[in-house]
Amino acid sequence: MNDRHRQPDRQRSEGTSDGRLVEIHAQIAREKEEPREGFSLTPIFIVFLFCGFGFWAGLYLTRNSGDFSASAFDLDVPKASASAGPAVFEPDAAKGEKLFVANCAACHQATGLGMPGAFPPLAGSPWVAGTDERMIKIILVGLAGEVEVKGAKFNGNMPNIGAGLKDAQIAHIATYVRSAWGNQGEPVMDTKVAEVRKALAGHGQFSPQEILKAHPLEAK
Amino acid sequence: MSQESSHQRPDFGRETALRGPFVFFFVAALVWLLAASALGLIAALKLWMPSFLNCEWLTYGRVTVVQKNLFIYGWATNALLAVNLWLLSRLTSFEFRNGWIAVFGGLVWNATLIYGVQQIFAGFLNGFSLLEMPREVGPVLAIAFLLAGFWPVVAFARRPSGHTFAAQWYVVGASFLFPIFYLIAQLLVLWCPASGVVQALVASWFVQNLLQLWLAASALGIAYYFIPKVLERPLAGYYLATVGFWTFFLFAGWTAPATLLGSPIPVWIQSVGVVAMVMSIVPIIITAINFHGTFAQNGGWANAWNSTSLRWVALGTISFTFVGLLRAIFYTRGYSAIIRFTEFYQGLDHLLVYGFVTMVIFGAAYFILPRVTGALWPSVKLIHVHFWSVTLALIVSTLVSLYGGYQTGLDLSKGAPQMIGGGKAHVLTAAAFLLGHAAFALNALGLIFRGLTSAENRQHD
Repeated sequence: MNDRHRQPDRQRSEGTSDGRLVEIHAQIAREKEEPREGFSLTPIFIVFLFCGFGFWAGLYLTRNSGDFSASAFDLDVPKASASAGPAVFEPDAAKGEKLFVANCAACHQATGLGMPGAFPPLAGSPWVAGTDERMIKIILVGLAGEVEVKGAKFNGNMPNIGAGLKDAQIAHIATYVRSAWGNQGEPVMDTKVAEVRKALAGHGQFSPQEILKAHPLEAK
Repeated sequence: MSQESSHQRPDFGRETALRGPFVFFFVAALVWLLAASALGLIAALKLWMPSFLNCEWLTYGRVTVVQKNLFIYGWATNALLAVNLWLLSRLTSFEFRNGWIAVFGGLVWNATLIYGVQQIFAGFLNGFSLLEMPREVGPVLAIAFLLAGFWPVVAFARRPSGHTFAAQWYVVGASFLFPIFYLIAQLLVLWCPASGVVQALVASWFVQNLLQLWLAASALGIAYYFIPKVLERPLAGYYLATVGFWTFFLFAGWTAPATLLGSPIPVWIQSVGVVAMVMSIVPIIITAINFHGTFAQNGGWANAWNSTSLRWVALGTISFTFVGLLRAIFYTRGYSAIIRFTEFYQGLDHLLVYGFVTMVIFGAAYFILPRVTGALWPSVKLIHVHFWSVTLALIVSTLVSLYGGYQTGLDLSKGAPQMIGGGKAHVLTAAAFLLGHAAFALNALGLIFRGLTSAENRQHD
């Protein structure tokens, strides 16, 4: 009745019957393990390709996931804060106390009172109050000569303890000293220490006259 | 005619049981397809001439939203419900006795859709893509889907033989997952909104699931069925199909965050999305081997071109491979930074939903409708009009969206934003789509009418 029209699908047979379709493909799926003549290289190539994708995925996730932190929202931010981590310096008197005990207390004593006639006290000393540069300089390169602290004279020889310490460590120590034993000085930043260290490059031990000329003791 | 019915005798009982539900869903799909194409043309015209049809109900925002919803929930879903049901009944020799339940579900689905669309036109819409219909629509649609679309799962569970075939896996997976992710999305986006960015994340997860695990997975099932069936040869590299199936379903759900690159969600979630998008190449390669490998043997491409139905399926599978590769490339961070605010990604979605899913549905319709109704296509000319207008419109609109979107992105990143181009081209392609769909609907409705009248005649004989 419609022979005039071209009806390609209707004129051809139904195609593979549905039962046969399922059967053939089930058979192919079963037989995949059996070794055959003319084994195709495609499967092994595909396995390597997919492994390559998996490798890339792991790499990408490790590098671009912001340590899976819930607060990292942008790729650039976590990197910036990681490199800026030490730069955000918090002067910490508790760390300073430990460093003080290890590096300074042998002479100045853990009480900060020093040894009468040998080592000047730090507690209540005008030398550690006021500007922090004086103190940083002394820690960095040392001080040799007769000094007067709280009415007592000391003729000591402080070595350049600070040469073996990091900027941040010196800042912690200075912060501790300036806040312990009733002292009331401002905290010290590591950038300040770095600045002073740079300015003092090659400088030997200070004499009391030199350091007091640069930084006279502030009257309380 | 008598010769034909004797030719069909073995399947006759099953086909007549399926006829009612299939024809019902397909006619509904056709009506929605025409409505969506008309709205698509209106939307394209409004983008070009903003004062066209200037009334509140037909503002551009509402028209495009209704058009998208009708195309996906009206056309594609109705058509896939019909084809999935037919496919699984055929492949599992399932005697479908409860056609009225499916039809009832379909009535509820389409009535709810009419209500939802009317609400969108009236301005009561949500701001989440493809969840724009008011929230009371959600549970009803989910129940309607269970009544209408869960039959492939039932048919699969009751299959007589232990053997299964890739077409079944995809259709069963899609039919099983749709109600689940639809309900989860309704719950977490509209009913008990998850706090903060999680809501947006769930909404985008839903869109990717809808496009890939419902639409594309169903269409993959159809392609896996028709290619070996019409070409009468087993699929090339079929043993890989299992891997393709599992990787497709594994990665598809994870791809959503890649569509949200640059938004304030934790960076690791975005990276997981990019990885899933790229890893989706694995099922793309496997389906390409299965489909294109089969076409490449013994003049398969020529056979496909000469078959009214397989021609569509072949074009659809090419679109699928193409869109899969493009997604893997252009959803990476570098490209996303350029094109994220352009029509490029709309072009990719269009290529997936139209170039793959809809093309495959057309192919299935050209195969199934004559067999279900027992009638012939009334006009070959209309078939050609349908094919050429739709195919050319698809190619042109995709190229315009991809190329235009990329150029807009480059302009934007140079800080020199320009008016989005391609407006006139989109009007032309929308008109061509409407023309092709009208030809198809006319042809299909004529065929269904013929089939129904001749079926009545047969009963009288």
